[in-house]
Amino acid sequence: MSRSKALQYYIVARLLLAPLMLWTITTAVFLLLRATPGDPVDVILGPRAPEAAKVALRTQLGLDLPLLQQYFNYLGDLLRLDLGTSLTSRGQSVWEIIQAYFPATVELAVFSMTIALVVGVGVGILSASKPDSVFDVGGRLFGIITYSVPLFWAGMLLQLIFAVQLRWFPLGTRFPATIPAPQGPTGLYTIDSLLSGNLMQFGVALYYLALPCLTLGILLSGIFERMVRVNLKQTLKADYVEAARARGISEGKILWSHALKNALIPVITVLGLTLAAMLGGAILTEVTFSWPGLANRLYEAISLRDYPTVQGIVVFFAAIVVLASIAIDLLNAYVDPRIRY
Amino acid sequence: MNWLSLSGRQWRSLGKFLGLFSLCCFLAISCASRQTTQPTGSPAASTNSDRIVLGTTAKVRTLDPADAYDIWAGNLLYNLGDRLYTYETRTTDLKPQLATALPQVSEDGLTYKIPLRQGVVFHDGTPFNAEAMAFSLRRFIENGGQPSFLLSDTVESVEATGENELTIKLKKPFAAFPNLLAFSGAVAVSPKAYEIGEGKFKPSTFVGTGPYKLAQYGTDSLKLDVFDQYWGEKPANQGVDIQSLSSPANLYNAFQTGAVDVAYQNLDLDQIQSLQQGAQRSGWQVIEGRGDGIYYLTLNLQDKPLDQVLVRQALAALVDRPLLQQRVFQGQVEPLYSLIPSSLDAYSPVFQKSYGDGDVAKVKELLAKAGYSKDKPLQLELWYRSNLTSNELVATTLKALAAQRLEGAMTIDLKSVESATAYQNLDKGAYPIFLLDWVPDFLDADNYIQPFLACAKGSEATGCQEGASKGQGSFYYSDRVNQLIDQERQEQDPQARQKIFAEIQNILVNDVPFIPLWQNKEYLFVQKGIEGARLEATQKVPFSSINK
Repeated sequence: MSRSKALQYYIVARLLLAPLMLWTITTAVFLLLRATPGDPVDVILGPRAPEAAKVALRTQLGLDLPLLQQYFNYLGDLLRLDLGTSLTSRGQSVWEIIQAYFPATVELAVFSMTIALVVGVGVGILSASKPDSVFDVGGRLFGIITYSVPLFWAGMLLQLIFAVQLRWFPLGTRFPATIPAPQGPTGLYTIDSLLSGNLMQFGVALYYLALPCLTLGILLSGIFERMVRVNLKQTLKADYVEAARARGISEGKILWSHALKNALIPVITVLGLTLAAMLGGAILTEVTFSWPGLANRLYEAISLRDYPTVQGIVVFFAAIVVLASIAIDLLNAYVDPRIRY
Repeated sequence: MNWLSLSGRQWRSLGKFLGLFSLCCFLAISCASRQTTQPTGSPAASTNSDRIVLGTTAKVRTLDPADAYDIWAGNLLYNLGDRLYTYETRTTDLKPQLATALPQVSEDGLTYKIPLRQGVVFHDGTPFNAEAMAFSLRRFIENGGQPSFLLSDTVESVEATGENELTIKLKKPFAAFPNLLAFSGAVAVSPKAYEIGEGKFKPSTFVGTGPYKLAQYGTDSLKLDVFDQYWGEKPANQGVDIQSLSSPANLYNAFQTGAVDVAYQNLDLDQIQSLQQGAQRSGWQVIEGRGDGIYYLTLNLQDKPLDQVLVRQALAALVDRPLLQQRVFQGQVEPLYSLIPSSLDAYSPVFQKSYGDGDVAKVKELLAKAGYSKDKPLQLELWYRSNLTSNELVATTLKALAAQRLEGAMTIDLKSVESATAYQNLDKGAYPIFLLDWVPDFLDADNYIQPFLACAKGSEATGCQEGASKGQGSFYYSDRVNQLIDQERQEQDPQARQKIFAEIQNILVNDVPFIPLWQNKEYLFVQKGIEGARLEATQKVPFSSINK
């Protein structure tokens, strides 16, 4: 079978497996939520409400139906891409919640990842290209420290230094309440402000992004630094690199044109998975920086037993992770000819 | 494009592009930060200095008055809308707001006629009249929101009996009904902007008649603009910007750095203490108000040995409220000796008179009468909500109190459970003793008595089988108390009502189905140079009086 044909089969197989993975996650979330003690109606109304009011609300929300019926109703809605309506902020669909909160998470993740990538790869290259030098030791230390420091602790510390003491940056939140927030099609403040040509809003959006993104980006950069350093060092010892040296090619050209490409292939995998994990698991960053993202909203929904919101957000995150995972595999398959299917 | 194989020249071009882009970003940031920072470097200063920035950790679940049932949403609706009645500044005395006078009540106590204000318009320009008010109250009842039972349990019908006259018929007499009409959800909303129908809610908009209109509803901020056509006194500021912060630490730091003008709700105990201590040095104001939320122990009367009144009384005598006030709360609460808080006239400190605080001799005497001693210790199980830190501290203190002072005659085991699970199991009798809190729906003694002690179905022998006390996990049943609650609800004479509440409190202190512990305090922190901020007796913060 030719390589392109095999790649096509591989793509189709991965895409066919995706719904199965999503169904498994969806079912697990549905069952776990129901197995968790606590009834949304009791959380909503508290102990004060009369039993009749609780019964009426339970019926209204469809929580009185048998579990199997609730499950099939949920799956049916999901197939129609209907994630339901929030139990706690009734009148608001889960899609509306995702639309309102997800852009903040994306913006935080993308900017943080850019910083992580630039810093991590940069330090990794520096460290690997000058083995056993001060740069190498410094790079290794940087990698270990940034990889091991807890995010919430570093976030609070940097906030105390740069926002409270030095007052260089604002304290959390995504945009000041005093200025109208950028309105636009993407929900990403940086993009929307640029689209509307409002440089002031763009600057404010960047200003508010700076501290959380720098914190998250620098802490994540350790992963990339370690990976790039190890891979690049191994690559620089490879036969083809030795052969290049023997041909008299300069070290700079060997590094940039020959070794780096191969050394960066595993980084693609880590980049994709870290980005997906960040989208879903950014809760510590979001809480630490009062960032109004979807992970923060998910936490609230869990504590309020808001079943449709929790299910909707988890499925949404799961879809992103599944798609990201497929995209990474395909990208790896494309860029690395050694991969067989 | 294979970017890894770029030539040196291409790399240089890319470098130049990135360099220029970074420079542009830097310039944009620099320009923007100058426009949005205070002289101190804080980012919160508004481009319009007459606007107030209020920071809070409280979340807005919904702004639909028919579905909003939490304190912060109530506070926002209080400022965005008007109700038929509200409270006089810093008191719990009712005064007309969209009504022009207190209601005329029929002799049977079932019909309330309310004259309405003229010349009022909604934020969308719709004129306010009796039809609009009737629409608002019917919507509150019929849409089936969280607090709908407050009116649906009481109101038979709401009719506009004139352009400016509203007639409300009740299912049964309820003397505190005008107070209920001051509930934040009983606010007038525009019939053009809302509709009646089960589940038809609008969580992120609000169209009422208040001094502010909702200009922006964001995920972490709200903007309230002054409503130019407001019928009443105009706000002293140009608007209020509300910044939501996700943690008390962020709110504390935001206030310290001047990022918010006013900080309200949910700072931790030590943060409040720190801001109190720093107030004199920094010049900011600390506004402290007696809260109307109460904390108490629910005792499950169907559980052994709590079915013995002597055991319940012994526990009541053990509680040392001043100790809790100082050790746990650093003075940030007030001891409470009745289910009715001290801010209401009906309050009588019955538990103080009968049991005192940590009266060891009395506890031992009561335990001995009940048959417990060092050799046969009383074993109790105290539950609290694991997600509330202060509750854990209180439970631990009570346990230590019993261990230290009673020489082994009483042991208290502590158990915790998350709120959501607790509320689900409370009325099933799962917990012998539970530490709970209560925030009233309206400021009347009835709202601190009926939801605790009333029981619709049951007997002295079986305990409460259906009704409020079962919902609280106490299962208390008393024919006499049920009768007294009916009486106070029918009684229009305030003095006569007070007497009934006094008798109920006396029964409460003897039967001990609940042990009141403390009532909360509310704090408002205000930056130097800002005036007019205050906390009402209802725990509401009126935005319109705040100015720079």
